Amino acid sequence: MPARTRPIQKFAAAASQCSPEAAVYGRCIVADYNSVHKDKCVAEFMKLKDCYLKASKKK
Amino acid sequence: MHWTVSRLQLLRTAKGLLVVWSSTVIRLYHSRAPVHEVFNTRTKWLQKERAASRLEESRTADYLKDEVAIRLCERLLDIKRSYPRVLDVGANSCNVARALTAPNPDSDPNMPESDPLVTKIKHLTAAESSETMLYRDVEEPFNQQINMTREVLASQETLPYGANTFDLVLSSLSLHWINDLPGMLSQINNILKPDCAFMGAMFGGDTLFELRTSLQLAEQERRGGISPHVSPLADTRDCGGLLQRAGFKMVGVDVDDIIVDYPDSFALMQDLQAMGESNAVLGREMGAIQRDVLLAADAIYRELHGNEDGTVPATFRMIYMIGWKESEDQAQPLPRGSGQINLKDVLESK
Repeated sequence: MPARTRPIQKFAAAASQCSPEAAVYGRCIVADYNSVHKDKCVAEFMKLKDCYLKASKKK
Repeated sequence: MHWTVSRLQLLRTAKGLLVVWSSTVIRLYHSRAPVHEVFNTRTKWLQKERAASRLEESRTADYLKDEVAIRLCERLLDIKRSYPRVLDVGANSCNVARALTAPNPDSDPNMPESDPLVTKIKHLTAAESSETMLYRDVEEPFNQQINMTREVLASQETLPYGANTFDLVLSSLSLHWINDLPGMLSQINNILKPDCAFMGAMFGGDTLFELRTSLQLAEQERRGGISPHVSPLADTRDCGGLLQRAGFKMVGVDVDDIIVDYPDSFALMQDLQAMGESNAVLGREMGAIQRDVLLAADAIYRELHGNEDGTVPATFRMIYMIGWKESEDQAQPLPRGSGQINLKDVLESK
């Protein structure tokens, strides 16, 4: 019997295909994490999100 | 200030139910300090019920609770006593009972093999508010090895037992969801017989700090504000004071970090959910965390805390507590300054 895939598992699988983008975003936040404000790294995040959306559509 | 609040509450009750305004009622409200509500106990109960009803996932995610129960019960080897009546407060899926029946609790190869701890215990009462969680493993073989009763508590904050009932009270990974921790410890002290011990383990201090900080940074950057996702937890240094305030003597507190590596932060969150340990803080944002925040938090978690091999660590800080109920014939610490031997001499002569 195939195990039921929960939404979070699909989400994790798609997100795992975007580690370069995630690393760029992560570095942007961590570079100065004492002064994080809204949309501080919006450009990096959008690249990450685009990659995630593409990865989640592939299957 | 508190007085005004109690009066208002009373008036509100009086309106609906015609409660007689007697001095007894006033004292009932007035004698207790207001309890600061942090957790939604109904949410927590539901989470446990749901977690336990997914049998397989729930059992797989029991690794932490089993490990802590074993580490807690191991400490019983240091006390040369037997216990006619033992209570396990917040038993979860009876992890303590399972640990007590483990074949050789002291796995030191230099020591002779010791009997299972259950030989020291005549009867165990496992009390828990989530019925499904409590009865999850009722068919497992360990149930035959221990004389135990399961009791479903109406509320996880109130213990329905008389004073001086138990020879030992244990609690493993439940106390961190109690709103009124000082009150709970006082109740435990009350139901213990004199000169009997309470031993507890709970999450505290820096538990899940990686998850907490990553979610905070992600929410701050994506949404411009934060909401509580990880419970406020008792600090190690608070626990000693809490035990003393509850009337315990010869108090001991120590900590132990368990670090678990996960493939990603989603796996951690899934496991927390399967343990029934998801967020139940009052005033948290309802509904699931936004996907944008989750995606951002995972990236930050990796960057800020990630291991070199690509996994992410999660720290669980266990606080172990032991306290003894006061008794007249108990060993007492000597008064300060009454020592006859200089420790310096002893240590230097070695």
